[in-house]
Amino acid sequence: MNYIEILQAIIFPGVLFTIGMGFLFDWLDRKTAARMQGRIGPKITGPSGTLQPLADFLKLLFKEEIIPSHADKTIFLFAPALYFLAPLLSMLFIPIISLNPLAGFDFDLLAILFLLAFAAFVVAVLSYSSASSFTTIATGRLVLQYVSYEIPMVLAIITAALYSKSLSVEGIVASQNKLWNIFIIPFAFAVYIVALMAELEKPPFDIPSAKTEIVAGWLTEFSGRALGFLKLTKEVGYVFGSALAVSLFLGGGLGPALTGLPSWILYFVYFMVKLMAVGFLIFVLKTSLARIKIGQATELFWKILTPISLAQIALVLFLVQGGILVAS
Amino acid sequence: MSDPTRPVRKEETAGLMKYSAENLVPFGPIHPALKEPEYFKLILEGERIVEVIPRIGYVHRGLEKAAEMRPWVQNMYMFERTCGICSFVHSLTYGQAVEGLTIYETPRRAKFIRTIIAEMERIHSHLLWVGLMGHWAGFETLFMWVWRDREIVLDLVEAISGNRVHKSMNAFCGVRRDMPEGMEDRIVERMKFLVERANYYKEIVDTEETMLERTEGIGKISADMAEKLCAVGPMARYVGLRNDIRLTDPYAAYDEVPFDIVTRKEGDVHALLKLRLDELIVAANIVSYAVQHLPEGPIRVKIPPVIPAGENSSHSEAPRGEIFYYVKSSGGRTPDRVKSRQPTMANLPTALALLKGQTIADVPVVLTAIDPCFGCMDRMSFMDLESNRQWTWSGEQLRQYGIRHYFPERAKG
Repeated sequence: MNYIEILQAIIFPGVLFTIGMGFLFDWLDRKTAARMQGRIGPKITGPSGTLQPLADFLKLLFKEEIIPSHADKTIFLFAPALYFLAPLLSMLFIPIISLNPLAGFDFDLLAILFLLAFAAFVVAVLSYSSASSFTTIATGRLVLQYVSYEIPMVLAIITAALYSKSLSVEGIVASQNKLWNIFIIPFAFAVYIVALMAELEKPPFDIPSAKTEIVAGWLTEFSGRALGFLKLTKEVGYVFGSALAVSLFLGGGLGPALTGLPSWILYFVYFMVKLMAVGFLIFVLKTSLARIKIGQATELFWKILTPISLAQIALVLFLVQGGILVAS
Repeated sequence: MSDPTRPVRKEETAGLMKYSAENLVPFGPIHPALKEPEYFKLILEGERIVEVIPRIGYVHRGLEKAAEMRPWVQNMYMFERTCGICSFVHSLTYGQAVEGLTIYETPRRAKFIRTIIAEMERIHSHLLWVGLMGHWAGFETLFMWVWRDREIVLDLVEAISGNRVHKSMNAFCGVRRDMPEGMEDRIVERMKFLVERANYYKEIVDTEETMLERTEGIGKISADMAEKLCAVGPMARYVGLRNDIRLTDPYAAYDEVPFDIVTRKEGDVHALLKLRLDELIVAANIVSYAVQHLPEGPIRVKIPPVIPAGENSSHSEAPRGEIFYYVKSSGGRTPDRVKSRQPTMANLPTALALLKGQTIADVPVVLTAIDPCFGCMDRMSFMDLESNRQWTWSGEQLRQYGIRHYFPERAKG
């Protein structure tokens, strides 16, 4: 490994870039919601308030950290760090500036699925470790929501992998050279977006952190640094979820070639435009919906979205086997 | 579910002890869903509520006692401060109760102005509730939009009375300020706009899938049960009871303004949302009519500061339901006794009955469906559930109790 690769992993398009994107997504989220609700949104810190999420994060770093006396201290202190690692690591498998991701290998999609499950597991453990009635309820909801959205989400991801005949993100992106997957498997994309909103706990699925019911959900007992990093992780997870959607369904950074520009810049720009588009789709959806109840969410995922994704898989397999569609 | 109209007996309260602390989720006194401190012990089985134990009194302010030490006129402005939302109707009802003891008659123009302000207050209170319902159901956008429209009516109130919240418009037998010149067109036009918006919000709550899932079939109660539990205001009208003081016992200028109250049959939170939006439209029409038919004449009759001996009561329809005031005078400069009953107090049993059997996700939506105003409601009485004994304390005894409670070491010495 040479210096360039190390720098890439740390700064661009590695860890620091991902965190920066997390802050940017936070700002965009707040600004879009504010505009849709007839407000102004962040405005003072930095140009048009772009630095507000960073300022909030820094402020939390300097706050006192309170550990509840009932809490399991080891888990309470270390789980946030583990949780922070999950989306950061996953982001390394996503090709951002060229078809080669920083840490891709032949079956990295499986690693991503593992990290998704790992993050949910860490949140459940970390929520349970803080031992208050609100976090206990939140844990129950969290786990129930996880088992609800996990199945359709994995099925949607698998649909893309099946059609592209590859289990690596790189291979799936490369296979979309001619036609994006979204045009072949639109339902899988839709299911993925809905499941992603549930994973990110965005309305209407902000059930485990419903503030008018259970204070801040599983975040209730956290303060200071831990709270700052947990919130940042949510935003980075947002970036990663959208980036995965772009890679699996929207052809990653592929697009019409332009002469005179280095290919990595072009790839990066296309990627970012699509990333913002997916992010914006979620911002708009989340702002225009009310929170549903946990039972209703489970019903939605198990009774409606799982059959849809199964039907999508069956359809794709049937069409490919029958020779009507040519698998790329 | 047990019959909630029956008084709680001793064995039952003891029975509650069998629930361990794990099933108990505290709701309040400080909770994001409550704008005021009030404590509800929710006893859960899983996500479902099996029992609710209220503990009220966190914002007890001693208003009724304070009224006995203040002149009649001053009380009017103190009672206006009972509530930050339906403030005008408090001074109106207290004023009416006191006016009944005197021989003076309120001028017609003043009655119309009172009606206008009271209805504007209803509009702003209902908009506030609809917005908050969006907030409680996790629909922030509805909250922001509705509260932006609420500014319209607040601006009008400010233009008329000079204040946004505590209007200080009332006086005995009249109002303190006349309607400003040339306001009619502006008010009528703004009211038309508000009706438009209300119709739009009705469409939203009817068509927005997630909002429907949160409100339809939630907080259901039968008309019989609502009547038994003495529900007032919108909580009675949403099950179909025609309970509205404006209609059944008209005060101010309601007997001269043509209007009809709205009732619904469904009896769930969704019906409440639509009911309040419909009432808003009715209120806007009343305001438009009253502004256009405002009679000429004086706005106030001056009355002496001493009120003749006697007792009287008055009630009126606040945005949340019936407000009741009782005054007793012995011919002095201060009242002997003032008793006020707020609609939240009357609706609280209904809210508790609604809560049982719901899931914890419904608590903010159902508990706040009655539009609670705990600050208005809190009163105080002593009772011992063990021996079923009730008693009263003098101010001095209460002070001693406070010392014993907060400074045990000083009480010993």
